Amino acid sequence: MASKELALMAHLLRRAGFGATRDELDSFVAQGYEATVEQLLHPEAAPVMEEDLLRRYHIDQNSLMLIESSQAYWLYRIINTRRPLEEKMALFWHGLFATAYGKLNHAKAVVNQTNTFRRCGLGDFRTLLLELSRDPAMIFWLDNKDNHKDAPNENYGRELLELFSMGIGNYTEDDVKACARAFTGWTIANADYMSVRASRDSIWPHGRLDWQFEYLPEDHDDSEKTFLGHTGPFNGEDVIDIICRQPATAWFVASRLYDFFVSDTPDEGSIQFLADRFAETGGDIREVMRSLFLSGFFKGESARLARVKSPTELVAGTARLAGSYQFPEWGIVNLAMDVSFMGQEILNPPTVEGWHTGREWIDTGNLVERVNSAALEMGDLARPGVQAVLQRVRARGGSLAPAEFVDACLDAIGQFDVTDATRASLVGHASADGNLEFGERGSADCSEQRVAELLQLIVATREYQLA
Amino acid sequence: MTTATALRYSHTLGFMANQGRGFNNPVDLAFDSHGIIYVLNRAGPEVGVRIAYKRITRCTADEQYLGEFGGGGTGDGGLWWPSSLAFDREDRLYIADEALNRISIFDREGDYLGKWGAAGSAAGQFNRPSFIVFDQDNHLLVADSLNHRVQKYSPDGAFLGQWGGYGSDPGLFNMPWGLAVDGQGNVFVSDWRNDRVQKFAADGSFIAAFGESGNGECQFNRPSGLAIDGGGNIIVADWGNERVQALDGEGRFLASYRGESRDSQWAQDYFAANPDEAAGRRSANLEPEIPARPEFDQHRGYEWERSANVEKLFWGPTSVKIGPDGQVFIVDSLRHRIQIYRPDS
Repeated sequence: MASKELALMAHLLRRAGFGATRDELDSFVAQGYEATVEQLLHPEAAPVMEEDLLRRYHIDQNSLMLIESSQAYWLYRIINTRRPLEEKMALFWHGLFATAYGKLNHAKAVVNQTNTFRRCGLGDFRTLLLELSRDPAMIFWLDNKDNHKDAPNENYGRELLELFSMGIGNYTEDDVKACARAFTGWTIANADYMSVRASRDSIWPHGRLDWQFEYLPEDHDDSEKTFLGHTGPFNGEDVIDIICRQPATAWFVASRLYDFFVSDTPDEGSIQFLADRFAETGGDIREVMRSLFLSGFFKGESARLARVKSPTELVAGTARLAGSYQFPEWGIVNLAMDVSFMGQEILNPPTVEGWHTGREWIDTGNLVERVNSAALEMGDLARPGVQAVLQRVRARGGSLAPAEFVDACLDAIGQFDVTDATRASLVGHASADGNLEFGERGSADCSEQRVAELLQLIVATREYQLA
Repeated sequence: MTTATALRYSHTLGFMANQGRGFNNPVDLAFDSHGIIYVLNRAGPEVGVRIAYKRITRCTADEQYLGEFGGGGTGDGGLWWPSSLAFDREDRLYIADEALNRISIFDREGDYLGKWGAAGSAAGQFNRPSFIVFDQDNHLLVADSLNHRVQKYSPDGAFLGQWGGYGSDPGLFNMPWGLAVDGQGNVFVSDWRNDRVQKFAADGSFIAAFGESGNGECQFNRPSGLAIDGGGNIIVADWGNERVQALDGEGRFLASYRGESRDSQWAQDYFAANPDEAAGRRSANLEPEIPARPEFDQHRGYEWERSANVEKLFWGPTSVKIGPDGQVFIVDSLRHRIQIYRPDS
């Protein structure tokens, strides 16, 4: 029976990262829960992932011009990062500030935005909103390049309030208008040429040209505005300052963090706790996350397996477990397409509202995709992670009864939380071929294949679909 | 005898095209005995319709498009991660493939002739062959990158020898990329992850090493392809620094080139047919100042970002070849073109 510490650590790493191998879990347990939380909260202490190998072999991931290549690039990063929370925060903010390739026709611009999320995702919320407002992909996505002093475009101003900070019901239409006016003149360089290229999806003559933020003071409306009860000649920075002081913003961010990191089922008391931390710390996301990971509601049993894994979590977590794609291999693009087929086309969310999460990740079609993809990885005995699992099972002894065989496999992949019904079902399957024999009485090849098959069944269970 | 030579930008060959006239992530080029250029298009990723974009384009230095052949695939004659190409004395075209770990052979019209090679680390096997070149004896040298060695083969694939091994001492390699042979038969290797160029005699005995890590003169950041010009100068695609460096035969710095491409004829034809895009381009600043930002160092570096923004600059140069007239052809892979320089006489 796994220790409570191991099960808690596996829970933490599923939420604050993309899962962990059994060896990694042992190391984290040895250093302790709080120390592991601190390590996760300070990704800057871990080395930056070198990309020279990736760029050399995947020439398309060097320029990041194509959407499939950029999706594969992010997946490779997630699988191989030594900064798991940095990537998890980037995925969280990407889902919240959903910006899609489909309108931009410029994958690198969306990748650049995710780099901002890596850099600022654990910082203060004000800086993040400011960077977001200057982000060329966001400016293009929500038409702020068309937001002029003499012809305001309200799209960004509206979504900033509704979807990115406060939520509907906490501001008026006049606030939206004032917000939009505050961001007039915030555009991208060469906006006309870049717009023509994007509208035609032009790759000519020499591929995409990157976008840069540009502030045009002559196109900024610096007249007086009244915004959320404050009056002044506000620019975008002023508006963001006011937004970040709103209790609604604290609640909004806290509720989204709770939904992504804790549970698909909201709990008002826990969200208020996080909102209070947001307000007390001036929107310091690192502090909020520390409080979240150390809280009773996160560590408690009710949060275990309380979220459906997103396709990215499922695919990347399985690849990490199997030890796949630790070096550039051409198949990574197919793995990234698996994520898309399961309903999460990263870098290309369906709308500005992002993805519908929780149970909506699962339907009869993509459940088959999820099971097949995970089973393909864990059923491959050539994968180094699968070999590591095999060694752990072998180390249990030369002959394992079916129940011991099942427990050994569950333990070896760190899947500690399974229902009695699931375990009984797995034992029933394992019993069909009797004891697992690695000694003189059994064929090693046959026994290894039995382990691989049981791993495939485990990743097909309900529990494995949950985080 | 080494001649100090400066290079002057001449013109640009090509523009981006998924198929037909143009290139898609070219990685190398070669000249047949008639001076016709064969450009190898790697064109990732390996998915869906994009697989068909892998091909060899035939053209001339003055931008006559002569056709294309080959295509993506793993069967005989297919290209998956094509990395380099070279002609033997009989005008047969050899193409290395880093994913398929083999050499495929075509005639100059593009008809498939055969293949040899297999994956592995034994003599005669490959682990991501990244560059090929024929030496003076018509033997094919192969940079066998993940086996950290150079191998020598007869044109029909008979293994003749090898040198190198993993390490940073003289004569050892860390994932070599490019190869070149000078007029005396010496072999130059861009030792990619050691950030240096090494020079060997024809038999593989070590002669010298040039360069170190960095972005200054005689420093490299992951050098890729390289060539030796008629004066014995070493012209290196300094891939990670997004530039080309020229060194003299003793490894002394001569010059550095960051790229200065102008619209090729094919690009001009495109804009003539798309006047709205041409109008937008005319009003745009195509050479914006890109301020250095600390976050660039957390990603791929300032020069990579600058190349992503300023179209005329090299971006991911992978190969350098000397043309029949002494022109220097630089394969500007991420901009889907060849920037051509000529000696400044």
